[in-house]
Amino acid sequence: MKLIGVDVGGTFTDLMYGDTDSQTVAIHKVPTTPDDPSRGVIQGMLEICARFDVDRGDVDHVLHGTTIATNAVLEYKGATTGMVTTEGYRDILHIGRHQRPQHYSIMQDIPWQDRPLVQRRHRKVVAERLAPPDGAILTPLDEDAVRTAARELREAGVEAIAVCFLFSYINPAHEDRAAEIIREEYPECFVTTSSAVSPQFREFERFTTAAMNAFIGPRVRTYVKDLEGALSENGFKADLHVMGSNGGVATGAMVSDRPVLTLLSGPAAGVLGGAMSGERSDRNRLITFDVGGTSADIGLVVDGQFAEATARDTWIGGYPVMAPMIDIHTIGAGGGSIAHLDAGQAFRVGPQSAGAEPGPAAYGRGGALPTVTDANVVLGRLQPGNFLGGEMTLDAAAAQKIMAEFAEQMGMTVEAAADGVLTIINANMANAIRSRTVQKGHDPREFSLVAFGGAGPLHGVDVARDLGIPEVIIPPYPGITSAAGLLTTDLKYDAIRTEFQVSGNVDGERLSRDFDTMRDGLAAQFKTDGLDEGAVAYQRSGDLRYVGQGYELRVPVADGPVDAACLADIFKAFEAIHTTEYGHVFEDNPIEIVNIRVTGVGQMPKIELPTQSQGGNLKDALLDEAQCHFRQDGDLQAMATPLYQRDKLPIDQPLEGPAIILQKDTTTVIPPGARATAQAGGNLLIETGA
Amino acid sequence: MNIQKNAPAVDHVTASVIQGALENIAIEMGYKLMRMSYSSIIRESEDFGAGLVDTQGRGLAESAQSTPLQSGPIPGYVRGMQKILAQRGETLKPGDVIMHNDAYSGASHGPDVGFIVPVFYRDELIAFSATTAHHLDIGALTPGSCGIVDAIDAYAEGLQFKAIHVYSEGEKVIPVWHILRDNIRVSDLVVGDMEAQIAAARIGSERLVELIDRYGKTVFQAACENVMDHSERLMRQAIAALPDGTYAATTYIDGYLDDPNPANRELPLAVAITVEGDEMVVDLTGTAPQIPDKPINMPLHGTVDIAIWLTVRSVLLDTDVHGHIPVNDGLVRPIKIVAPEGCLANPIFPAPTIARFCPGNQLADTVMKALAGVAPSQVSAGIGNLRVIAFTGLQNSEHWVHMEIFEGSYGGRDGKDGMDAVDTLYANTRNNPIEDIESHLPLRVDRYELREDVCGAGQWRGGLGSVREFVYLDDGGASIEGEGHKFPPWGFRGGNDGGSAGLRLDRTDGKGGELPSKLPYTPVQAGDRFVCVGPAGGGYGDPLLRDPEQVLADVTDGLISIDTAANDYGVVITDDLAVDDAATAQRRG
Repeated sequence: MKLIGVDVGGTFTDLMYGDTDSQTVAIHKVPTTPDDPSRGVIQGMLEICARFDVDRGDVDHVLHGTTIATNAVLEYKGATTGMVTTEGYRDILHIGRHQRPQHYSIMQDIPWQDRPLVQRRHRKVVAERLAPPDGAILTPLDEDAVRTAARELREAGVEAIAVCFLFSYINPAHEDRAAEIIREEYPECFVTTSSAVSPQFREFERFTTAAMNAFIGPRVRTYVKDLEGALSENGFKADLHVMGSNGGVATGAMVSDRPVLTLLSGPAAGVLGGAMSGERSDRNRLITFDVGGTSADIGLVVDGQFAEATARDTWIGGYPVMAPMIDIHTIGAGGGSIAHLDAGQAFRVGPQSAGAEPGPAAYGRGGALPTVTDANVVLGRLQPGNFLGGEMTLDAAAAQKIMAEFAEQMGMTVEAAADGVLTIINANMANAIRSRTVQKGHDPREFSLVAFGGAGPLHGVDVARDLGIPEVIIPPYPGITSAAGLLTTDLKYDAIRTEFQVSGNVDGERLSRDFDTMRDGLAAQFKTDGLDEGAVAYQRSGDLRYVGQGYELRVPVADGPVDAACLADIFKAFEAIHTTEYGHVFEDNPIEIVNIRVTGVGQMPKIELPTQSQGGNLKDALLDEAQCHFRQDGDLQAMATPLYQRDKLPIDQPLEGPAIILQKDTTTVIPPGARATAQAGGNLLIETGA
Repeated sequence: MNIQKNAPAVDHVTASVIQGALENIAIEMGYKLMRMSYSSIIRESEDFGAGLVDTQGRGLAESAQSTPLQSGPIPGYVRGMQKILAQRGETLKPGDVIMHNDAYSGASHGPDVGFIVPVFYRDELIAFSATTAHHLDIGALTPGSCGIVDAIDAYAEGLQFKAIHVYSEGEKVIPVWHILRDNIRVSDLVVGDMEAQIAAARIGSERLVELIDRYGKTVFQAACENVMDHSERLMRQAIAALPDGTYAATTYIDGYLDDPNPANRELPLAVAITVEGDEMVVDLTGTAPQIPDKPINMPLHGTVDIAIWLTVRSVLLDTDVHGHIPVNDGLVRPIKIVAPEGCLANPIFPAPTIARFCPGNQLADTVMKALAGVAPSQVSAGIGNLRVIAFTGLQNSEHWVHMEIFEGSYGGRDGKDGMDAVDTLYANTRNNPIEDIESHLPLRVDRYELREDVCGAGQWRGGLGSVREFVYLDDGGASIEGEGHKFPPWGFRGGNDGGSAGLRLDRTDGKGGELPSKLPYTPVQAGDRFVCVGPAGGGYGDPLLRDPEQVLADVTDGLISIDTAANDYGVVITDDLAVDDAATAQRRG
């Protein structure tokens, strides 16, 4: 089986080719083409096939990480979108939760008011109303009104319509019928219903999710169609699969229908790639740490399971989105983060970034503000002549000059100022990791940190030490970990249903029935995708809370009928998770099953990275020696530091810090007291000494 | 224990790292409290606070997600508690947890109960970790803890906790918990929330000790000084940028519009801000006298001070303009408050205070109006105030209580229209999803939309209000506190005033009608309906200067009528929704 993973980033489109039979892999990189990212994708695929002599027609699967949906939201460039909603509730999308994003601001904007996904003129109301607990019809659907609304929206030039009715998560009949009528009146329109996209309670969040799906729908649908066309024109016969935010891939058809599932496509692939690397070192408790120029993405993987964000914590571009997503915590900290004294004379680093243009001063493109990258240059950790495998030369003098000016403001030496920049940015990153570990009941000392992205390996050991993490793993190709992650994905679909059932009074038969119905729905989808029933595994879970609480916790549910024993297990597991997460349990209080979920995973073929059994010795890998600054016993000292070439490092022969390890994608820093070993699986394993 | 101003300075880098760590701790406390708590008033409305305070009662950090009116008062709770403990000759020991809600000793008002954990480092008291939250019921004369607008004194407002040990050296003080359960309605929810508050405050304490362990006491304390001094510098710079002078404003609250006693209605709130160098005095002289037997008096520490600080900070150090500003004691040091004893803003015990929420927010608006005189491009025109309703009932001899906060709106701003249908100034809570309310309570929300064709016209128009309708599906009761029925939000720089709020009860027996802004507990029947009309913010700038295309957009969106476009804005719009340029030019002259 031949696979190509292609991940479109802001600057580069990364590709990885893998052959599961011959167990070969190859990597490639081309510039991203922002006006139409599919051009870069095709170009990269043609080049990687040509360069590694792969017959295009032989490629079985193309796995794709894309930012097309995300960018449509962030740039607010979507379709002219309409909405058909319940009479009396025209402005749910606009009022939201009536909360301002910032407490202490008069001049702030409110994203859903200042950048509405659907303008009020395109929000049409129709008579209909359902009621809990069973979705009983209080007011029947006014079908004529729906028809009229569809015609008006069509005339108004609307390209996509979201149908959003109250309580549709219990009973989708009205939404389904309205969508049917709209399609009759306006067949070319992109139509979506809130119950199909996210059948969960909380109307503002569900309606927003549906509206966003409609807003980005036409653009994503066109993109997928064009890309599939271009693949086939260029002789590729492979299926296109697109990475979803939930850590699995979906078919092009599925993504065209529900693009909102792909909003975290790229970062999710990164977490997967990090997880794959961790597994190559036989580690099963991992913190993935993906640091680029402007931001750091943090994920958590325990026993191959990704932490999933709770529905209330998922936001894109300031809008709430209720779609299954890997819990990825992003902070504004990266190589381009700018160091500055704020107006109150406090030393800050980020969240502002110099970006790629002009970039850090060391890029020599006119960057006039000191950045994290400049600090790494000043301290000798980035080597001017060996940056990106020598493809780019750094201007050390510029970095030195800008950092000296900054240091003077604080009366520090230039090295101390640069070291301060790193201390602060590392502390910010460590705090971000704490919020996903310590604050959720996980002890980081039991984890390994997988550091990747262009800047992750520069900071990994220092950040790990701050948290007491004993080891850091650097994947073989840290700069293209997302593309690598794509080659490890499975098809993954989620089903969800709101139940509101309380302990002591649970209708187990109804739960069993609903679980079965959801599973059957997923099975039908996998069948449509051409997957063998035997290749699909299902997992059940529930979102539970104490009655009265507003936040749910995810609890696994075993297979089989939901009987008394099963329920007892569920509630016991909930209390254990509550204790872990919050450090507290409310004994004997009633518990509510809010939602039930089924996740189906359809196995895709995987590549096995070849192991390396290279002998050699450290001397062969030694490129040079440089003076680098490190803290030793609390003091900043200049130390003679060897520079090694990553791909020549001998396997299983530890090297002691201080050392700098160079490769094309990145630079890895091994500070004094740390010890690094190249492993046969391709990873670099660093014992931090923490 | 006192930290000296000339203590050895901590380096820039460590100060920055410790500042981030303190905020991170406070955020974790708030996160856990919000997720664990039971009542929608905490977990949905986010009417809670979490913070860290030093031994001198100075705020070090507050949680980012809590509402300003809850986190802001926490240092005051600690100071009030310390004062009472000192008077009683009590000292704190490791493992103690103190409950406090005395509105005359730093608490915001009775239902906002604080739980304070003294933090000990190597047997020495080194800080406090505290949480506050609005509780559904505190044992007042009628169900719920809002709309108790007929409480005649502090004793009628419910239980008063003046620095009460609920844990003593790690042991639960059982009798106190019995008293709570026996005197509070819906005590399962309330006690659950209190336990969540304690758990969150304890987490803060543990994390703080870990932090001090890493850096040592001396460095930690020096960093705290540095962090507070930093915020103080920012505020001083912002004040110094204003020209010296005195800037005054007065606005009015409804009070009790249906009260025969004129002293209880249409009450002035007066603010005079004097800027001198990098300091500011906010003088409330001229504010109406306290009402001895009505609970709209505002605690000076816990409500009045927060309203002032919040507004000054939001205008002068707007986070949208200045970025994140660490919130701590330093920010308030350059601001002095003067409030004559015995006025609404500095009442004398036992004058009742439980319904101070709306007057306090109106005071915040008055502060903004005073600042408008010196920083006209940094303020909004007048804001629309809020309303709180306690929906209550008895089912099988057990109470249910649901509190809903109703949004206001912002006035127009320099270059931007006002924010529509949001909480304003010192409040920033969240509404409850309709699908949650109807799934758990005998209530139906029949309408939730923008209020059309009522807004403060201006070059930058005021934000729109909302209309929300609640129908009872079962017999029950309601208690209501609101404001702004009589006085609309003020227009600014030639903008029109906004629209005042309104409230109507439609009863199935036909005996309902328009209501004043305050309604003490009133029984209602199944089928009765509250129609709640939110205020519209004031306009900013001359409406005749508004871009005709923006007026057209508002008409196209159904927000204002074609008539309003012509009458208020002088923009003539044709029936097929286009601007008639010639007619508009003529009309605008």
